[in-house]
Amino acid sequence: MSLAEMAARVPDGASVALGGSFLHRGPFAFVRELIRQRRRGLEIVKQSPGYDIDILCRAGCVARARAGIVAMEGNFGLAPWYRRAVETRQVELEEHACMTLTAGLRAAAYGVPFQPVGGVHGSDLAALNRWASVADPYGSGRDVWVIPAIRPDVAVIHVNEADELGDARVRGTSHWDRILTRAARQVFVVAEKLVPAASFEDCPELTLVPGFMVQAVCVAPRGAWPGSCWPHYEIDYPAVESYLDSGRHLDAHLERAPEAAERVRPDAAERVRPDAAEPARAEAGQPGRTEAAEPTEPVRAEAAAPVRAEAAEPTRPRTSEPVGA
Amino acid sequence: MPEGWSGFSYIVTNLARFVRPDEVTFSGVNSTPPMLACLLAKRAYDFDFVYLNVAGGVQPRPSKIPLSSSDPVLAEGSTAIFANEDFYDLCTRGGMDLCFLGAAQVDGLGRTNVSVIGDWRRPKVRLPGGGGGAVMLPTARRAVTWRTEHSTRILVERLDFVTAAGGLHGVVTPIAVFVKREGRLALQSWHPEVSLDDVRGGTGFDFDAAGAAPTPLPTPREAAALRSLDPDGRFERDANVSIRQESAP
Repeated sequence: MSLAEMAARVPDGASVALGGSFLHRGPFAFVRELIRQRRRGLEIVKQSPGYDIDILCRAGCVARARAGIVAMEGNFGLAPWYRRAVETRQVELEEHACMTLTAGLRAAAYGVPFQPVGGVHGSDLAALNRWASVADPYGSGRDVWVIPAIRPDVAVIHVNEADELGDARVRGTSHWDRILTRAARQVFVVAEKLVPAASFEDCPELTLVPGFMVQAVCVAPRGAWPGSCWPHYEIDYPAVESYLDSGRHLDAHLERAPEAAERVRPDAAERVRPDAAEPARAEAGQPGRTEAAEPTEPVRAEAAAPVRAEAAEPTRPRTSEPVGA
Repeated sequence: MPEGWSGFSYIVTNLARFVRPDEVTFSGVNSTPPMLACLLAKRAYDFDFVYLNVAGGVQPRPSKIPLSSSDPVLAEGSTAIFANEDFYDLCTRGGMDLCFLGAAQVDGLGRTNVSVIGDWRRPKVRLPGGGGGAVMLPTARRAVTWRTEHSTRILVERLDFVTAAGGLHGVVTPIAVFVKREGRLALQSWHPEVSLDDVRGGTGFDFDAAGAAPTPLPTPREAAALRSLDPDGRFERDANVSIRQESAP
C-alpha cells in the first residue's frame, strides 16, 4: 500500500491518534499526506503533539484536539498555528494532562467505560472537562478521578521496522504508541523499512504491535522528517526553523518532504489489493486484514495539488520560554 | 553591569541542588534546564541517584547533549527503556522522589498554570497545556519548577487557571530559590548580585523570607560541569536569561 492509499482510508471528520512525541518518531509523512488530500474536520488525539498538529492546523484540517501538552519543543517554543487556531476557536480543544488522556485510552483498550487516574486533585481541568471522582468502593476513604473512554477511529504510528503483515517494532522509547494502538479501532503502521517476517520471529518479544491488529502498513523512508527517528536520523533543525518561518508558503515545506521526492515504482500499483482505497469507517475495525506493502509509490507524483487552504499566518511567538512538562 | 553569575547558570545550578542521593529523579519534555541540572548533578556531585527521563532513559550516558529534552540520545547507555506509561505510573504510586515540571505561572501556594493566559475559553495566549503537571504535581514526593523570568506576571497572587496543585516543593528563577514551608512558598535564597527588594518587587505573592540569604556561588565542580555540558554557550544563548528583569511584552 502507498502512503497516499493509507491516508485515503481516513475520512473527513475521523478521530486520528498520532504516535511519537513532539519532534520524535511522529508519523509526519502520513500527516503531510492528509494535508495533500485536503482532509477536513479531523479530531487529533495525542498526549504531546507539536509539528503534526501545528501543520494540520495550518492547513485547516483540524476541528478538534484532545491533547496533553502542545509545543514545537526542541528550542522552538509554542506551536504557532495550533495556538492561533485554538485562540480563534477554529479548533476546539479538550485539554488533558498526558496521563488523563492515557487513562481515557486505557479505558478503551481495556473495554471499560472509564478509567481511574492518579492525581488531578486540585486541578481546574477536572471541572472544565466535567470529570467525575468516585469514592473507593472498597472503603479506603480515598477518592479517585475517573476519565471516560477515548476511542480513536485510527491510530497511526511511525516505526523503525515492519513486515508485510504489519508486525511493527521501534527502537528507543515507544512513547505512547502501545496504548494508542490498543485503544483505537484501527491501526495503521508507517515504517522506515520493511523487513522479512522471519526477523520478527527471531525476537517476537521486541514486537510492539502484532500484525493481526494492523489494518494497513506502508513504507516511508525518513517519514518522521523533520523530526527524528532513532537511531536513523535526528531532528532537522533548519527544516523546522524554515517551517516556522511564516513568510514561506506551506507548499514549499511539503515539497521538500522526503516522501514528495520518492518516485513511483513500476510494480507498486499491482501489489495493492482492489479494496485498498476503501476509506476507514468509524465502526468498522477490520481485524486481521492487512494491506501489505513494498517500499512504494508514496505520493502520487502527478497529484499533490498545491495546498491553498493555509490558515492565516501567525507571528511566531518569541516572547516566552517554552513551558516544560 | 556585567553578570558574574549568569541567570542561566543560576537556574541550572540551583535546580541541580534539589537532587538528593539515591533518589529517583525525573526530567521531562520541553525541560532543557532540568535536563541540564540532572546531568550536572551526575558530573558535579559525589553521590549517585537514579536519573530517569522522558526519552525512556534509565541512568543514561548520552553521547551528546541535545537541544530537545526528549531527544532519544537521552536514552543512550540505558540498560532499559522506561517509557511514558511506566514513569507516570511510578509517580502516581509514590515512587518518584523528585520530578521537574514546567509552569507558566506559579502562585504563593505553589499551584501552577500551564494552560492559558486570560480566560480559558477566550485565551489571550493558549499555552502548551496540562502535560505532566495535573497528575505528577500532586503525586510526586517533591516537584520543582523553574522560570527564566522573575516577574509579577509569572509569580502571581492569582493564577489565570489552576492546571495543577499539590506537591510543589521548589521554584527557581534567575534571581531566587523558593521552597514550600507550611503550605506556602518561602524564599530560601536570592542571587548575590540582586537585593531582597528586587526579589520582592518581582514577586506577585507575599512570601516569608525568614532565614533566607544570598545563594552560595557555584562550586568549581558545578561550574566545570555546566561548562562541559554547554561548552559553546548554545543553551545559555537559547535560554536568553537575564538577572536584570525588564518587563517583557
